Amino acid sequence: MTNDKPAIPPEWQEKLDQFEWRRARARELGGARRIRRAHDRGQLTIRERLAKATTSFHEIGEFATYDDVDALGNLRSQMPASYVMGLGTFAGRHVAIGGEDFTVRAGAPQTYLDRMKGGLGGFVEDLAHEYRIPLVMFMEGIGGDIAASGEKGHSYLVSSLSWGRSYELLGEVPVLAMVSGSSAGGTAGRTVLSHFSVMTKDSVFFAGGPPLVERALGKSVDKFELGGAAVATRSGAIDNLAEDEDDAIGQMARFLSYLPQNVWQMPPRTPSDDPVDRPIDEILGRIPTSNRRPYKATDIITPIVDVDSFFEIGKYWGKAVTTGLARMDGIPVGIVASNPMHLGGAMDAQAAEKQIRFVDMCSTFHLPIVYFADVPGFMVGPDAERANVVRWGMRAIQSLIEAEVPVVTIQVRKAYGMAVSATSDPDGLSLRIAWPTAEWGDLPVEGGVEAGFARDIEESADPEAYRAAINENFKNIADPWRTVEAFGVEAMIDPRETRVMVADFLNASLHRVHTDLGPQRRQWRIRP
Amino acid sequence: MAAKSLAPADGLVWKIVKKAGDTVKQGEEIVILESMKMEIPVTAEIDGTITKLLVEEGQAVEEDDTIAEVG
Repeated sequence: MTNDKPAIPPEWQEKLDQFEWRRARARELGGARRIRRAHDRGQLTIRERLAKATTSFHEIGEFATYDDVDALGNLRSQMPASYVMGLGTFAGRHVAIGGEDFTVRAGAPQTYLDRMKGGLGGFVEDLAHEYRIPLVMFMEGIGGDIAASGEKGHSYLVSSLSWGRSYELLGEVPVLAMVSGSSAGGTAGRTVLSHFSVMTKDSVFFAGGPPLVERALGKSVDKFELGGAAVATRSGAIDNLAEDEDDAIGQMARFLSYLPQNVWQMPPRTPSDDPVDRPIDEILGRIPTSNRRPYKATDIITPIVDVDSFFEIGKYWGKAVTTGLARMDGIPVGIVASNPMHLGGAMDAQAAEKQIRFVDMCSTFHLPIVYFADVPGFMVGPDAERANVVRWGMRAIQSLIEAEVPVVTIQVRKAYGMAVSATSDPDGLSLRIAWPTAEWGDLPVEGGVEAGFARDIEESADPEAYRAAINENFKNIADPWRTVEAFGVEAMIDPRETRVMVADFLNASLHRVHTDLGPQRRQWRIRP
Repeated sequence: MAAKSLAPADGLVWKIVKKAGDTVKQGEEIVILESMKMEIPVTAEIDGTITKLLVEEGQAVEEDDTIAEVG
């Protein structure tokens, strides 16, 4: 036995030498100096990221290069393309995967190698579209740069690049984006065209960086102040924050674990070793019966869903609602919950926007929604009005009506005003399961009596006594048990029965979900 | 080891429940904030003595502001 490989035929040697030489060149990326600089910043190169994230990777376009010219158009050298991509296995699943190489001209697209249709980035999107597999993108680049027009010999309209496929994919397959380093301009734009985005805490994200801001506005701003993680995860541009790249890759894998490969498939149900009839007595200690005492939404979500299955999305923005993915009896579900810890749970414009984005995603990938409602109304006040709360709130209602997935609502405490319509599917089954802490109405009795009977109170002989009498009368009417008796709410349960009951309804609802697969059909063509 | 008690949300300091020098148990209320008619407790992270109380009643605070330190 010998380990010697069979001899290579001489006529092949030259071809293989050239192949190896070219492969080595491609592996050099933008050169040792730039790679070292990335490492010094605690960052990986795109090839290291891909190696870390995937268990198999077949690169496409490995030998693509571009002519690197100086500012006057003189050829300096040939450089590898600034985009690396291919077919990978990520989190145990086939994905189209790729990203900018920041060591090559800061990840800027080069002439004929544009990220859009026909270029390398475009191929990776076509791969996701044609094979109906998720798209995973590592975003680190400055978007366009002026050097590209130097290479073309003319400036060009950015509109000549198509974004069509990027939008189309959002209705077909999961699209995930990770920002590590700088994501600016076109790269930032591509980042938000995703279902889930995550950035490391040391990264920046913006439409234009400090030099552009300085020129346009005459303002000198620090890049982290302008677009650091604290800004981008609070504006909602980026969903989640990560400690480092390992954490970010882990979060993308976790997000994907709840989603199907594409909208034509069911979300992956996993075997659950957490019994649905597990006692959840602790829930009573977590819901204050005084409606003036808040609680953290996550404190009531976690005992009800499968143990350790809740993955919060968008923690730092629109905080009056909490959103995330979880499992119930192994079934992947979307969780939305009013969060009384912020604005008392009142839905402001940002919370509505966050909810819409999340509900649309759940509906697209056939994830049933469980909504824990405790909403005193749409947010009021000057700030809320300036932020256009009414329009955003009404859009939140529309997104739930249009959602093509079962929605089970747990009425935890308050349900007042129009915002209540944004906590269930009012035109669907509208299954609302109330806890005994629930209360509801057009307006809370206290303020409502004052607003509705001001004149009567003023004109009465004893205004204080009259006000007290009206309050008493309406408090009796507002007793939630009266509504339950009138079948004005679908069910009232002991909170400790919630897990087992919701799990059963979700299991039954899957009969419907199975027959609703495919792209979402929007009921209405436009949002107001 | 001192442990900071942070404001869990934006709000006004509605009630000071404990003062500097008081001993507290983990989870005990030190200050109650008021926001949107909700009473939001700020609690001790550990058992110990309140070494610093950094707010007064009526003061506006932002989420994650340090309200007190317990050592």
